[in-house]
Amino acid sequence: MAFQILLNVFIAFVWMFLSNSFSSATFIIGYLLGLIMLFMLRRFFTSRFYLGRVWAVIKLGGIFIKELVAANVAVLKVILKPKLDLRPAIFEMETELKQDWEITLLSLLITLTPGTVVVNVSEDRTKLYVHAIDFDNIDDAVDSIRSTFEKAILEVSRS
Amino acid sequence: MKSNDLILQTSTRVVFFIIFLFSIHIFFAGHYTPGGGFVGGLLMASAIVLLLLAYDFKTVKEVLPFNYLAMTAIGMLIALTTAAGSLVFNVPFFTHWYDYFDIPLLGKTSIHTAMFFDIGVYLVVVGITLTIIEMIGGDN
Repeated sequence: MAFQILLNVFIAFVWMFLSNSFSSATFIIGYLLGLIMLFMLRRFFTSRFYLGRVWAVIKLGGIFIKELVAANVAVLKVILKPKLDLRPAIFEMETELKQDWEITLLSLLITLTPGTVVVNVSEDRTKLYVHAIDFDNIDDAVDSIRSTFEKAILEVSRS
Repeated sequence: MKSNDLILQTSTRVVFFIIFLFSIHIFFAGHYTPGGGFVGGLLMASAIVLLLLAYDFKTVKEVLPFNYLAMTAIGMLIALTTAAGSLVFNVPFFTHWYDYFDIPLLGKTSIHTAMFFDIGVYLVVVGITLTIIEMIGGDN
């Protein structure tokens, strides 16, 4: 991933030197040419073509914004209810994510979507302890997190 | 039960650089806009304090092996040298001087001796703050 971007910038610089004009426009043209070259030779790299990963990051951002709005509306409903029949709980959630930044990102995303707060990460980093404000079913809550955030993060880190 | 500081540590690794950059920006902005050596130094010190909160004392000492007392002394020396430099040119103590230089990449830049004085202030503030924190929070 990082190597591909570096190579792409290098190709853009070579293009600038070849065309003997050092402006941002030339750099952008060289960068686009480098993208085409890297796409043609994508099978020689150990990791996948990096634009796919960029697209995955953009998709993750979109999912996050969508979830944020939906969950805020849900919490607003809970607040405006005349009768408080909340059922708060702390449940344990297994995660497949391995790396530091993945777990941190997942925790921050879960915390930023209202209704759920990450309380702690287990010592062996395989479980997250999540506090839910109002929940009916553990499996539903875990599944909703799994199907949205975890899948999107795995999509980003897939090599 | 031991708590896991994973989230705090990973966030700190990202946030530290942002505070560091902001500290440098505030330092250089001090001539025409709010900011300067003192605020920049405090920001830098707070970034290191954040590291100290997220990691333990020994790790930070390995990452940033500075002698903060020496840093304070060097900062004082730079500030005093800048102030005393005016005596060489036969003008009163603390007289500042500036001129415009053509620096590659930056273009026409005005260099003012007050900036060197500010570097001294910056180093003194960072050094003193972290010396105090090390004295209070240090293990031995």
